[in-house]
Amino acid sequence: MTAHTTISALTNAIPVLETERFVMRGYTDADIEPFAAFYAGERSHFVGGPMSRELACRALMTYAGHWHVRGYGRWMVEDKATGAILGNVGLWYPEGWPEPEIGWTLFDGAEGRGVALETAMASRDYAFNVLQWDTAISLVDPRNTRSAHLSQRMGAVHDGRFAHERYGTMDIWRHPIPAEVEA
Amino acid sequence: MTPHVVDVPVLETERLILRAPQASDFDVLAPFVMSDRANFIGGGVDKDISHAWRILAILTGHWPLRGYGVFVLVPKDGDAPIGSMGPWYPEGWPEPELSWTIWDANAEGKGYAFEAMVEIRRYAYAVLGWETAVSYIDAANARSIALAERMGCVIDADANGPDPDDVVYRHPSASEVLA
Repeated sequence: MTAHTTISALTNAIPVLETERFVMRGYTDADIEPFAAFYAGERSHFVGGPMSRELACRALMTYAGHWHVRGYGRWMVEDKATGAILGNVGLWYPEGWPEPEIGWTLFDGAEGRGVALETAMASRDYAFNVLQWDTAISLVDPRNTRSAHLSQRMGAVHDGRFAHERYGTMDIWRHPIPAEVEA
Repeated sequence: MTPHVVDVPVLETERLILRAPQASDFDVLAPFVMSDRANFIGGGVDKDISHAWRILAILTGHWPLRGYGVFVLVPKDGDAPIGSMGPWYPEGWPEPELSWTIWDANAEGKGYAFEAMVEIRRYAYAVLGWETAVSYIDAANARSIALAERMGCVIDADANGPDPDDVVYRHPSASEVLA
């Protein structure tokens, strides 16, 4: 009665990207701890937190599942030198989003040394060069000045606002088009 | 830390194919999540389509995190999915569960869930190596209670579920099922 003949859907490994200082990789159960720790803290208030460990795990499952539903997604960022897990950066397009975005979340202690810039740039290169996106945005909470500043450093310009039913109003930062990034 | 590269087996029963969740399942899953039939599993008429999408991502994302997860049921005489069921162990669950959900109301009452769950339980015991399994069922969910009883489950009054309203049904053990 049982057939283990074929294998479906989830065999595609999430690609591993390497930047100068960081490794960007797919999700594992070892990420539950850093996720739960970040989402328990006040710094998560721009991204739907603080929230319980149980809900943080659901968020982690959502990020992992996004890859298989959309064919792309975000990555966990690891420090090459220390192996420390620094954040969750990459491509994000859940139902209800106005268009695909480049997003970044840095865990506690990972700020202030260019982690988000370096990995968000790698994410954008992947979106433009591998996925052939012809445009990209980043959605940023209007009170999140750090992320607004990072958007500007990446060459993005303010392009209106998006009001989400549950997550509230976010600024839309529009990235340069692929030709401008390559130039 | 190397992420799991997950091979999701395709199981087969007399009338069903059991496979990994995929993007196209959203067409059937979304209306279910946004209906009152989903009240027992965190859905409901107050939920929007973005919530439904996240449920699909979560069902799928469980696989790479745990190395196992729920299967989607597709009848061999059709091509639309009718539900999802199988091993489920998110953070906050006291122990790994065997869960079941029929998405399509028209697929109820035909014994599909029983047929799939017998095979999935065998898989959990024989392939995943589980020695015991529970199913967490809302005390008001008469249909699921009937299925649990049909599968030989008994109430385990000493065990707790993730929700205070859950009744914990314990399945016959691996040695009993595989005997």
